[in-house]
Amino acid sequence: MTSSTRRTVRLGLLFCAPAILGLLCLTLYPVLASFYWSFCDYRVLLPPKFIGGGNYAHLIYDDIFWTSLWNTVYFAVFSIPLGIVAAFVLALLLNQKVRGQALYRTCFYVPSVVPLVASSVLWIWLFNPQAGPINDLLRHLGIANPPGWFSDPAWSKPAIILWSVWGVGGAMIIFLAGLQDVPQELYEAAEVDGARAWQRVIHVTLPFLSPHILFVVIMGLIGSFQFFTPAYVMTGGHGGPVDSTLFYSFYLFLAGFADFKMGYACAMAWILLLIVLGATLLVFKSSARHLYYAGGEGGDGP
Amino acid sequence: MAEGFQKLVAAFEKEHPKIRVNLVFAANDLATNQKYFSAVAAGTPPDVIFVDGPQVASWAEWGALEPLTKRVQAAGIREQDYFPPCWRQNSYQGNVWAMTFCADPNFGFVWNKEAFRKAGLDPDRPPKTMAELDACAEKLTRVEDGEITAIGLIPWAQYGGANSMYTWGWAFGGEFFDAARKRVTATDPKVVKALDWMCSYAKKYDVTKIASLQQGFGAAEQNPFYTGKVSLMCLHIGGIAEIERYAPNLDYGVGFLPASPGGEAQSSWVGGWCIGLARGARHQQAGWEFIRWLSHDDEGTTLVGRETGLFPGRQDSPYFDEIKDKPHYGDYLRILQACKHQRPVMPVQAFYMRQLQRAVDNAIYGKKTPQQALQDAEQKTQAELDMVRAGQRAEAGS
Repeated sequence: MTSSTRRTVRLGLLFCAPAILGLLCLTLYPVLASFYWSFCDYRVLLPPKFIGGGNYAHLIYDDIFWTSLWNTVYFAVFSIPLGIVAAFVLALLLNQKVRGQALYRTCFYVPSVVPLVASSVLWIWLFNPQAGPINDLLRHLGIANPPGWFSDPAWSKPAIILWSVWGVGGAMIIFLAGLQDVPQELYEAAEVDGARAWQRVIHVTLPFLSPHILFVVIMGLIGSFQFFTPAYVMTGGHGGPVDSTLFYSFYLFLAGFADFKMGYACAMAWILLLIVLGATLLVFKSSARHLYYAGGEGGDGP
Repeated sequence: MAEGFQKLVAAFEKEHPKIRVNLVFAANDLATNQKYFSAVAAGTPPDVIFVDGPQVASWAEWGALEPLTKRVQAAGIREQDYFPPCWRQNSYQGNVWAMTFCADPNFGFVWNKEAFRKAGLDPDRPPKTMAELDACAEKLTRVEDGEITAIGLIPWAQYGGANSMYTWGWAFGGEFFDAARKRVTATDPKVVKALDWMCSYAKKYDVTKIASLQQGFGAAEQNPFYTGKVSLMCLHIGGIAEIERYAPNLDYGVGFLPASPGGEAQSSWVGGWCIGLARGARHQQAGWEFIRWLSHDDEGTTLVGRETGLFPGRQDSPYFDEIKDKPHYGDYLRILQACKHQRPVMPVQAFYMRQLQRAVDNAIYGKKTPQQALQDAEQKTQAELDMVRAGQRAEAGS
């Protein structure tokens, strides 16, 4: 290394220092500390006391932990596919060249920039079993006994899943961007070969969008496992009725900040990391065959 | 409340020219606890902090408060100066950790007289026994097209499931905690009986139908008690001022909870706000003077009553002479004087309340029997308490 490159490296490091320090102090340190505390009885104001795997062992016998995990998996399993289908269909529709295209796109994207708390409050009203518009509509359609939504443990999770579909704007934009990359000549060729509209979607559009779908699935997985705010707001901080909307992060929050069992909460956070990591790897592995990267290597596209 | 406190602080500063009080408002919620704990951990706590009565023991246990015992003794403040449950909830492990500046008699049992008249009931004769209550509640309930449009009473909706459980559990003669043996007693047969009774409403009127009605409940002018959607309920004392403000024409009565056979007559318990010295506070002497003035001083306690509409914790505060003949307030004073209970004084009280909430939820929705639901709450809370106590012993031993 010449003296001038050394100087450049030094200067470079100097300029990067704030970011590097920030990363070390505000990300790496808390991550490592939380790992250590997950093996401690830690009540915030008293010094942490090492208790080995006590927190993890305790979690196994905590039925509410399992309930919260089940609620979260239930939410992920329904909300991710439903969200993707909704976003995909919206993207296809909004990709049509019609008058007012920009306006429609804006309308469907707007819900995803509404603050979570505000949209939660709005949806509590929409889901109101007696006076809400959703049940009004259902009654007009001839359903005499529409669901109780947040009054009924069997319907509270479906209600939250429906809410989540309202906010698919982000995924929709990603798909919309992906749609611009699909070569027009492929559609034309397919049309010449006699493919119908839905065949063109399945055999041309979908393969080209597969990397986008993978991205949305993974972001959706991470998002669902961290799902918190609407459940907290819509149920007044209880996760009710009967713990039916007590999601994983919600329970973690209560352990940490209501009971000040920080060690326990840290253990839950690390298990959450492992679950999300495992699920993501699984999605990666199982999707590799179906992925098509235009212009890239690997993958056996159309 | 905020305006009232500004006036209190102004009065305090006038009397104490050398002390300046910097009032910082924060909501009474989990986020605030988190902020307060972070501030203490960082060594930059406020001097004085409001603490919810049932949290005093756990805050003391986790090291968030300074003990006040010596200062209390030096100021000549005696246990008998306070309503007994108010004093009890601030005493933990042989120390006094906070002072009750606002005693909250839980609850006044209120009835909507207009609704009574409409239902053909005598508005001056509220239910005195559980049997009368059930009959009365039935008459006050209206069902239209399969939906409940008005209900007499929702037993589990008295400021949340846990507070409801405490209220009815004590009224039925039960006890929730054996302080001497440090045992959680949620399965006390009388507590189970109380939950059983609560569940009878869930079955009779269909809990999801009631919950649907509840989702339409609003705040302020839309309070279900003012609009006649709920005609019988427990009301805490701050409710009087709210009624004066939002529903000044509401015709209602305040009395004791109905008595249950084999239960406790004139049952009530105390909640309310306490004030303590933050752990590591820099101005402890001045901070203590503010605490003493607010919770014990003749002028301070009187102003607390006048400005906040709540009651002082000190039994012989001159404020009580002002209101003892005032409509509704006088009723609340009698309830406070008869008060026997406070929520269990133990470090995992908030945890216990969440388990009770869960038990009530599970029982009314028929997921568990009352016995099973309370047994789960008891076991979990006991395990949690034992864990904390094991930690204390380890500390004492080391």
